[in-house]
Amino acid sequence: MIEKEDPVISEEEAAQYDRQIRLWGLDAQKRLRGSRVLLAGLGGLGAEVAKNLILAGVKGLTLLDHEQVSEESCRAQFLVPVTAQGQNRAKASLERAQNLNPMVEVHADPDRIEDKPDDFFLQFDAVCLTGCSRDLMIRVDQLCSKHKIKVFCGDVYGYYGYMFCNLGQAHNYVEEKPKVVKPSGESNDGPEAKKAKVDPNETTMVKKTASFCTLKEALEVDWTSEKAKAGLKRTPVDYFLLQVLLKFRTDKGRDPDPQSFPEDSQLLRQIRDDVLESLSLNSDLLSDDFIRPSLRETLLTATSSSSTVVKAMAWWTTLDQTERVRLRRFTGKLQFVLSDYLWQRLFCSFSFFSFFFYSWIHFAPKSDTRTAGCFLVFYIC
Amino acid sequence: MVQLVGSLRKELADSISTCKILVVGAGGIGCELLKNLVLTGFKNIEVIDLDTIDVSNLNRQFLFQKKHVGKSKAQVAKESALQFCPSANITAYHDSIMNPDYNVEFFRKFMLVMNALDNRAARNHVNRMCLAADIPLIESGTAGYLGQVTVIKKGMTECYECQPKPAQKTFPGCTIRNTPSEPIHCIVWAKYLFNTKSQQQSPIRCFILQLFGEEDADQEVSPDTADPEAAWNPEETAARATASDKDGDIKRVSTKEWARSTGYDPVKLFNKLFKDDIMYLLTMDKLWKKRKAPTPLDWHQLENSASGLKDQQVLDVWGYCQLFQHSVETLRSQLQEKGEGAELVWDKDDPPAMDFVTAAANLRMHIFSMSMKSRFDVKSMAGNIIPAIATTNAVIAGLIVLEGLKILSGELESCRTIFLNKCPNLRKKLLVPCVLDPPSANCYVCASKPEVTVKLNVHKTMVLTLQDKIVKERFGMVAPDVQIEDGKGTILISSEEGETEANNSKFLSDFGIRNGSRLQADDFLQDYTLLINVLHVEDLERDVEFEVVGEAPDKAPPPQTNQEEVNSITNGNKDSAQPSTSSKAFKEPSNLLNDLNGLQYVWDVQLNQFYVNY
Repeated sequence: MIEKEDPVISEEEAAQYDRQIRLWGLDAQKRLRGSRVLLAGLGGLGAEVAKNLILAGVKGLTLLDHEQVSEESCRAQFLVPVTAQGQNRAKASLERAQNLNPMVEVHADPDRIEDKPDDFFLQFDAVCLTGCSRDLMIRVDQLCSKHKIKVFCGDVYGYYGYMFCNLGQAHNYVEEKPKVVKPSGESNDGPEAKKAKVDPNETTMVKKTASFCTLKEALEVDWTSEKAKAGLKRTPVDYFLLQVLLKFRTDKGRDPDPQSFPEDSQLLRQIRDDVLESLSLNSDLLSDDFIRPSLRETLLTATSSSSTVVKAMAWWTTLDQTERVRLRRFTGKLQFVLSDYLWQRLFCSFSFFSFFFYSWIHFAPKSDTRTAGCFLVFYIC
Repeated sequence: MVQLVGSLRKELADSISTCKILVVGAGGIGCELLKNLVLTGFKNIEVIDLDTIDVSNLNRQFLFQKKHVGKSKAQVAKESALQFCPSANITAYHDSIMNPDYNVEFFRKFMLVMNALDNRAARNHVNRMCLAADIPLIESGTAGYLGQVTVIKKGMTECYECQPKPAQKTFPGCTIRNTPSEPIHCIVWAKYLFNTKSQQQSPIRCFILQLFGEEDADQEVSPDTADPEAAWNPEETAARATASDKDGDIKRVSTKEWARSTGYDPVKLFNKLFKDDIMYLLTMDKLWKKRKAPTPLDWHQLENSASGLKDQQVLDVWGYCQLFQHSVETLRSQLQEKGEGAELVWDKDDPPAMDFVTAAANLRMHIFSMSMKSRFDVKSMAGNIIPAIATTNAVIAGLIVLEGLKILSGELESCRTIFLNKCPNLRKKLLVPCVLDPPSANCYVCASKPEVTVKLNVHKTMVLTLQDKIVKERFGMVAPDVQIEDGKGTILISSEEGETEANNSKFLSDFGIRNGSRLQADDFLQDYTLLINVLHVEDLERDVEFEVVGEAPDKAPPPQTNQEEVNSITNGNKDSAQPSTSSKAFKEPSNLLNDLNGLQYVWDVQLNQFYVNY
């Protein structure tokens, strides 16, 4: 329920948002202006997301984080002043976040997200979860889907990252397509003949619908079914790595830490075995080679690389319906792409702030805005 | 900072904290890049930008706030970055990178140079400086949702200028003056009318005023009687004479003189430009055999039939008449205020100047049966505005750092050109990496003895044209020295100011230059020597002063959708590390970077995208 938009864009807004209005149009800008977003987690990734949403000009952004500022926090993100150690991370980030764009209402909430009652989430149009546990994300995702609130989840683990989004069962949007106009009869030959030109006055609005599965469905694919088995080949192994990392977080209450490299890598291997076994999959799907270098070299740079910018991929609904349905069943909109030439076995982490922002711009609870189906991907380049 | 385990990581971490890097540009990409560098642990950063902060920057250049508008970008970026990393050592230069102070020695200080530029001239220059200093350069660009990053290393990869880039699109004079068919022709005409020579290359635009200031013969706006298409015969002269306006003979008096003689009366101006000149064009009937003929406007007629209804974004014709009148009056008083011999400079952010171009362009569009455009759209085209958002820049900046880390780790062979697309390709990838190409053997910049052949008419080409349009604009030299290889080493052009000024208006043939002559052009700062072979021709295409032999014809890059297909071709193998079998596939994507900085992108609100200005 995007708030009733003020139809008039002020001069100040028009001047400041000029360059982006020229890209996605005034309508999209107005929708942004009317939306309230919740952002959980103000680590490196959260800070990037906050920056992008604030710069874009949403109506309100609530920064929710119960963690305290540590020495590491200051190096991970740019919103927390170096003097703020010991303070609540959301509150410490507030001032700089607000200064990014005074036209946005930025709030800081120091509570634990687990303690929030259901109706807390209902005041938002979209919810972005970073650094959250698997169970919490599933709970929030289920709750929000029921109330047609958009959900985005994601994390960064060193050079590795993922992003997930759920825009609802029936997400309506339109795509504006130009009409190609044929030249009129007379001048079909000769040097003055005009090629078939796009007449900018003629566009057609093509109505589309995208359907998203829940996080629960995406994470709890039954790999024993025939169809799932067939889809396994096309499923990047990173999906399983994510399962492992999420389980680690649930079991240990933290992410793998290079400081405890020996125990953590052993635990990761153990979890890998358990996870794959529980999914009735072969344990060499995710080999040791995979994990060890990633621990050794990637998780080590967790702090610095979480601040490097990355983009998650938007999976546009130009996919045909069957493809969508198939993928939806097997992996939902959870997708990982790995390409290995960057740094051999290193994964690149990407904050998906840009994706959040990107996909946010492109959808609306009402129909008639252009959108992209959102997917999480993390991409290694 | 970076946790250390294993030797490789430690070396990299040390490298990061000790090496010196240069960031050229502190705008959209620059701000994000500076943030990333500082948080990654780079300690010694120098940043240079000649520009100041504008309010339209604030939607993405997040190191700047409203209170900083007007201040130096480099300076404020440094201050803001120091806020979240006080221990970083950042040096800011509010200066142009093309300033001779930043010579090869300056560049040699750095381990890595990262471009965050928005124009081709500066990119060419930095490319040459990095080649001369043999420093790796990470080049990048963004426009809207699109972006690109690539790595340039002398001897190993293509340099920025290895691949011919489509030249800045210009329109033939007769199209602008006689037969416009696109809104952009009308907008260019309107700017010429105001007389603006907008340089895409330089953020410091240089404007010359026609109607309100200095004249430029290249930007005449009245009907072009020399239009070969018109090919009118002498018997029609009489008809033309009567058709021509009462207030001034088009052929003999320039627009400016005429306008001045009428005291810049808006209605008289209107009638000349939009009625009389059009009626004159109508007498050149050959032009209208295959085209829709223009319809002249009449001020008084329009005044009487004004409907009073105003469309929210696009005015009706009378609305633009009024806008024309109002803006002329405002500009006239601006001119008067400035005093005798004053000139006005066109600026898209100056309301009456923008109003003027909007009104004049729209009136002309209407005359030539084109749908009129809102001020918003006209501003995009007239001001060469490229839409921009924070996130594209953020992604690109992140990729720049990742490539930088590869370079510092000594893994240049794993560097890639990476394209950021708007839509995922067939492989569902939004980020498409491509293997870097080796240097081009014929590159007129990085080949061992660069050489080019230029077609021109030695009797009609002035030394000044050689200097400004050929050696500087086309071949990217900043302060060239040109001598003739005639055994005597005759100096044609000297980079020392004033030394060869007397040569400027002379023709090349005056110096004995003829077909087959060779000229040696040097830019001392760029440490660049180029041998130019002169190929004399009698005739070139209309409005073309010279042609570089071996260049692909002036083609627009492929439209958006093709890029999509091309990328999927490029990414055809599952493992993108394998080079594509189609060499063409590699050529097309790399044009994107060229396009981003060289071509005029036009924002089309209705299509909700930008397209190349054809």
